[in-house]
Amino acid sequence: MAINKSFPERRPFLLLVLILSSLLVLMSHQVRTRRGSTLLEDSLLNVSAPLVKGASGGVGLLSGVWQGYLDLRASRRENLALKAHLGELEERGREGEEFRRENLRLRDLLDLKQSSEVPSLAAEVIALGTSSQARTALINRGSKDGVKRDMPVVSRKGVVGRVIALGTGMAKVQLLIDPNSGVAGIFQRTRGQGMVVGMGDHGCRMEYVSELEDVEVGDVVVTSGLDQIYPKGVTIGVVSSVTEGDQLTKNIYLSPEVDFRHLEEVLVLLKPGVPAATEELSP
Amino acid sequence: MTPVWRGILTLILAAGGQVLLSRYFPTAARLVDLYTVLVLYYAVSRRRVAVMFMGTTAGLVEDLLAHTVLGMNAFKKTLVGYVMGALGSFFMLSQPLPRFGVLFLATILEALIEAGLLLVLGQHMVLPAAGDLIRQGMGNGVAGIMMYWIVSKLE
Repeated sequence: MAINKSFPERRPFLLLVLILSSLLVLMSHQVRTRRGSTLLEDSLLNVSAPLVKGASGGVGLLSGVWQGYLDLRASRRENLALKAHLGELEERGREGEEFRRENLRLRDLLDLKQSSEVPSLAAEVIALGTSSQARTALINRGSKDGVKRDMPVVSRKGVVGRVIALGTGMAKVQLLIDPNSGVAGIFQRTRGQGMVVGMGDHGCRMEYVSELEDVEVGDVVVTSGLDQIYPKGVTIGVVSSVTEGDQLTKNIYLSPEVDFRHLEEVLVLLKPGVPAATEELSP
Repeated sequence: MTPVWRGILTLILAAGGQVLLSRYFPTAARLVDLYTVLVLYYAVSRRRVAVMFMGTTAGLVEDLLAHTVLGMNAFKKTLVGYVMGALGSFFMLSQPLPRFGVLFLATILEALIEAGLLLVLGQHMVLPAAGDLIRQGMGNGVAGIMMYWIVSKLE
């Protein structure tokens, strides 16, 4: 007996299977289950459910990945926009801080101006000259504003310098620390006098102070008014060191009160100072 | 007349006879299934492919006319025709008694197949009473022998 039948021999059986399967499908389409659906629908549902579930899961996964990608892109755009906004806000904050500081400085300057008996003019430092030979500053006030040569320039903290050159809308100021600068000074505590000379970055030194003068580190030196340029009593600086000189004087070094590296707003005193001696001699 | 037309004609005759029986002799109609008799005639005298086509067609016609689930009788008759055809190739079925036996057996088989189908389709299944089944088997057997005798005379 042949076990392996050829296709023509098996054809009737295959045809039978085909016909019976078709009839089963036909019947399944008509017969309703207890749930109300047809058996065919139920069978198809049972067969397709795992496939649909798998496909749905795959689609869900892909959809999730795609949505994640879109969210990431949106987040990146939002991040960039927020960074730009943050940068803008930081810039505004910096500007605000700058305005606040400027406001404080100008308020100090205004206080100084109001407390000063001498008429004055506020000016802004527009440039600082820092060559080894000279220490100067350019201010935005000139002859048209009433500024004249040798007018003293001060800040809230003390002496800044004097006007040495003029333009129409600007003026050049020789700073206190300029090596060619000289200001008549007086010790606030002992009233001993001398000449304050600039030393560039090293501050100032006070010359012509007698060896017998009682000077201590920390003593405050103010203008004496004897030079007929600066009014009397404006702070120059504080004694930083005192040593014995080789002649009959002392070597006295001062730290200026004004920070010359950060000068921004100054006050030009429109009326040069009157010497104390003259004041005392006047009737 | 080609075999196909001859098959169609005999199917029309069987369907018509069954309708008439149901209408005028309902008791006899419950005992005799002319479609089964026709399929079994094909099973013992024709090739298997022809038997299956006749089983399917006769069953569908019966389903349509009896308003039952379309395919139910077609399924039964196709399967019964195929099985009986296969059995017929092993036995001599030219004599009336073996033919009666085949018809009787086919009737029982049909009832079992129907019960199995209802089970598979998830429907409420009621096995026919043994007495009814035997009576129907005998009715089909007698009707079959008579039909085969008439056909042999016509041929």
